[in-house]
Amino acid sequence: MSAGWYPLALADGIEPGTSAGTQLFGKELVVWRDAGGAAHVWEDRCPHRGMRLSFGFVRGDRIACLYHGWQFDGAGQCRAIPAHPHLDVPETIKVATYRVAERAGVIWAADAHTEAPEPAARDALTPIRSLYVDRPVAAVRAALAGAGFPGADGAPLPFAGDAGGLLAFGAPEPVLFAALQPFAAGRTALHILAVGAPAAEDRVALAGAAEVLRRALEGASALAEAAA
Amino acid sequence: MPRASYVFLGRFEPASFAEFVRHRAARLAIAAEIGALGAERIEVAVAGAEELIEMFEMACSLGPIDCVVLDVLRRPN
Repeated sequence: MSAGWYPLALADGIEPGTSAGTQLFGKELVVWRDAGGAAHVWEDRCPHRGMRLSFGFVRGDRIACLYHGWQFDGAGQCRAIPAHPHLDVPETIKVATYRVAERAGVIWAADAHTEAPEPAARDALTPIRSLYVDRPVAAVRAALAGAGFPGADGAPLPFAGDAGGLLAFGAPEPVLFAALQPFAAGRTALHILAVGAPAAEDRVALAGAAEVLRRALEGASALAEAAA
Repeated sequence: MPRASYVFLGRFEPASFAEFVRHRAARLAIAAEIGALGAERIEVAVAGAEELIEMFEMACSLGPIDCVVLDVLRRPN
């Protein structure tokens, strides 16, 4: 992973006791939240047989692999192997882990040894939705910086700059933020949040506008490729 | 500490299988010493908890993608 922090999910999209798979630069990751509320980001691969841990079950402060039930604690250390209940599990059986920060309603991850500062905190944001677009992150960013983000009324919210890893939209004050996740080559995830507490119909309208944006981004690329 | 000697028979890329053996042994925290390392026969002596030795055997019976393990012989040391 490149240096720095990357958004992986809307924080409220990962409930305590659940897990989800995602990707960063094509690398498969599991995002899971233990019963105590702490979020974890790991390589999405059980060290036993390679099963995705995102298919597993969260039990208390551990996640258990779906395949043979190997249990891993919050540090990624294997703590129990059901087939060998009396085995003193060696410290070497461990999942690769990443640093995690929850800021501005987003779960961010960084390489375990990163020295990059954590993303900035930002209060009073309402999560709208995550959106997956079949376009490279640079193209999505360029399009958003050029045309803005569609607002609840359909009119574009102008791009207002980069704010601590989030793209801001709206004038004179930002009313919408988007975090761009480099999912894989040619695929980007957008995690969208609104400032304040918009009414339910506005949240639905923003979510719908995001769909329009996705179609525009993917359609524009298809037209450009057809013309090339 | 339990010990065992393994003979893996099959079709091997020896360097690839040796790396696989070292990686799995390190993950399972068992000692592994590679003996004969050929294209059709590879010998490995191991020492560690019995459960972990059995996991090692299972892992190596699958092997890396460029090797095919046709048979595994185990002898106690």
